[in-house]
Amino acid sequence: MNREIKAEQLVKRYGDDVAAVDNVSFKVDSGEIFGFLGPNGAGKSTTVAMLTTLGLPTSGRATVGGYDVVDQAAQVRRIAGVALQEIGLDPIMTSLELLTLQGRLFGMSRRDALKRANELLEIVKLADVTKRRVGKYSGGMRRRLDLAMALMHRPEILFLDEPTTGLDPASRRDIWAEVRRLNREFDMTIFLTTQYLEEADELADRIAIINRGQIQVEGQPQALKAALGSESINVTFRDSDHVRRASDEVTDMFDRLQIDRKTLRMYRNNAAEIIPAVVNRLNTAGLEPVSLTLTTPTLDDVFLQVTGQRFDTDTDGESTPAASIAEPA
Amino acid sequence: MDTVSQKTAVMPRIQVSEERMPFVLQVWSLMWRTLVTNFRVPAAVLPPIIISAFFLVIYQSSLGGAAGFIPGLRGQSYLGFILPLSVVSAALSGAGVAGQSIVRDIDNGYFDKLSLTPVSRSALLLGPMLAGAVILLLQTGVVIAMALLLGLAPETGLPGILAVLGFALLLGVGFSGFTVGIALFTGNAAATQGASFIFFPLSFLAPTFVPLALISGWLRTAAELTPITYILGAMRTILNEGWVAEPIVQGLIATSVLGLFLFAFAAAGLRARARRK
Repeated sequence: MNREIKAEQLVKRYGDDVAAVDNVSFKVDSGEIFGFLGPNGAGKSTTVAMLTTLGLPTSGRATVGGYDVVDQAAQVRRIAGVALQEIGLDPIMTSLELLTLQGRLFGMSRRDALKRANELLEIVKLADVTKRRVGKYSGGMRRRLDLAMALMHRPEILFLDEPTTGLDPASRRDIWAEVRRLNREFDMTIFLTTQYLEEADELADRIAIINRGQIQVEGQPQALKAALGSESINVTFRDSDHVRRASDEVTDMFDRLQIDRKTLRMYRNNAAEIIPAVVNRLNTAGLEPVSLTLTTPTLDDVFLQVTGQRFDTDTDGESTPAASIAEPA
Repeated sequence: MDTVSQKTAVMPRIQVSEERMPFVLQVWSLMWRTLVTNFRVPAAVLPPIIISAFFLVIYQSSLGGAAGFIPGLRGQSYLGFILPLSVVSAALSGAGVAGQSIVRDIDNGYFDKLSLTPVSRSALLLGPMLAGAVILLLQTGVVIAMALLLGLAPETGLPGILAVLGFALLLGVGFSGFTVGIALFTGNAAATQGASFIFFPLSFLAPTFVPLALISGWLRTAAELTPITYILGAMRTILNEGWVAEPIVQGLIATSVLGLFLFAFAAAGLRARARRK
């Protein structure tokens, strides 16, 4: 059965401004978890809005489950479940009211809707607060209820727009577990946007990195990281003049160099082995690093490589230094 | 690329569920939900009733005695003449409820959630509009009850009162198209609230306090062009003169044209919102 999502040269432009989504094409296979990764304002939510019929594309086309998002919007709405970044719940209704109305609007009988609502409230651990107004819920509870709303009509394709942004680590892991379960048990196609590299790495079969409205790279997280091929030695100096001089010094030892403020990133395979040689060379040139770390490739590095800038979010990426030598003598 | 598109073409699409909610039930469910949530915050519902009732008493007390001197009103009840103004103003502020509800839903994100369900786009608009209508029926009901207490004795009796309520309903639903449209175009609570005030100039460009015949000059022209004039005229005729066909039909046409036009405006607002998203 076709549970694919396909975008062909999607463009969304607001007025005469720069396109928020600029010629984006991709295909998500049936039953796949697709991670759409990008910093704030990259165009993730705008893409989701178009795929879910909430927004109209300026040009290009997209299909969800084979249905055109503009011409067959009603069919798309029936097979897609959507949890937007902005939680969409009326604070003066109760969770049970919201879920049953949702089910009813999807054509369920009152009885079925009630049954399904209670079933979902159990799953998202809200069964004991069904009569409390949603306005009194915590952020995590609201997020879980919003997910339940998206699942109410048993969608075949699920869109989750930053489902864990602003959640504490425990709630985040709950959502991850649920996403995996939905994918495993129902073979649901899941389109997940996130600004957390770790999340995309954990959950997605395939990812696309979007920045300034354009897809920079697409592939399996493992493959993308492997494609970088190399580890990097990151040396930080006191001032940027030293960084430039250092880069001239070591240029023959590496495949690729990158300057990121006061840090010089040097890429090659098996970089760890030549750390002593690098330190030696720098010392000889009279350059004293403030710190030195070794990084194995992460999605952050993939991002850095394709965009030339660091992944700009409020989270710490996930680059964990494998070795660290401070203040070499 | 060819093989990919062929594969897609062959792959069967998901059978879209046959379960559907009938249109009337969609509108009913959405209306009911808007009503329930509005009555949970009654602060939005009560002030318009109080204001309309207040003005009715003021108009009657200050101008009621003058009715005998106003040509064309001689022998008629000033209460019957001025009540339609209070009814219209109650209807219009009741109509604001629809716009306010939608703005509230846009603010808390629930409007998007509703937009993502397969309900008819018209139901999405009509639900809150009809909820506004129910609330304005309550409001105008209170205002009319007050007028009866003040001594109103309509020419046409109870059916006349029901007809006036009917006019209020039609006008309110129509005008709620306007507030809903502004809500969708702007997504802004202050703008929507402000838009409801557009009625005030409109109602003074009509024969508000004296019959149309007594107004002259540019105001006369403006009043002749304002649909409110004909709606007021129809209600006044029903209360003070009886079932006179011409003004009543004119009133009906004015309310219907205004209503259809403003519903189209609301629908355009919904489309504009999708283009903006």
